[in-house]
Amino acid sequence: MRHVAQETPETKPLSEPVLLILTSLAEHPRHGYALIKDMELLSGGRVRMSTGTLFGALRRLLEDGWIERFEQEDTARQKQAYRLTSAGIRQLQIELERMKQLTRAGFARLRASEAI
Amino acid sequence: MRRTYKFLLLLYPRGHRDRFAEEMIGVFEEASAEGRAAGWAWYVRFSFSEMAGLVAGATEAWLAPKPMPQAPPAHSSYLPQELLQAQQRVDANVAAMVHAIANHQFERARALSNQEREARENLRILRDKYSDGYGMPC
Repeated sequence: MRHVAQETPETKPLSEPVLLILTSLAEHPRHGYALIKDMELLSGGRVRMSTGTLFGALRRLLEDGWIERFEQEDTARQKQAYRLTSAGIRQLQIELERMKQLTRAGFARLRASEAI
Repeated sequence: MRRTYKFLLLLYPRGHRDRFAEEMIGVFEEASAEGRAAGWAWYVRFSFSEMAGLVAGATEAWLAPKPMPQAPPAHSSYLPQELLQAQQRVDANVAAMVHAIANHQFERARALSNQEREARENLRILRDKYSDGYGMPC
């Protein structure tokens, strides 16, 4: 039987749409369409998110308190911007650390296998 | 295309629509404008992806665990039964519509959409009737 360390919300790996949204918002607040374009850029054109997927993820992130609506004076309701909360920044840092550790371990194994 | 998009938005729970529908339409229109300029093949792929995304997103929104409810107002236990039943009819109708579209039963979905409109109108009339403090979120 496989034993897996218990996952808490803080240690559970993030889904790719969530990771891309948090990474995009780490730079500055963005509204929906700007998020779609930036995520496409971040993923090298691989991920083009539909509005259904995007707003499903935004709803969950708002409910979890990882992002918040960002009021701008010149923002119409159709162009609502979002930004990271401190909890969202922490989640992104945890995930990036996890990925960095995994990447380092993966390359170390590759180097070891090439050396044999 | 915009009409189809707005029709499919009806599949979402009311709470999601109240919060995001206008924004979603706005983003969809921006993306559509870009798609039209990119050529018809891109636009067809984009349209299909958007429609599939809406059906999947609506299903996920209905299945998602609800956030912790806030404490109900003191008078909520006195909500009239007919108002509660009218709300339940609207919710049941929307759930049946999601199911019909997921199973490609578009004629049935259209009929359910008409029923939902009638149920929603009935709910609005009842809300007006009990508008002396019985306001109920839906």
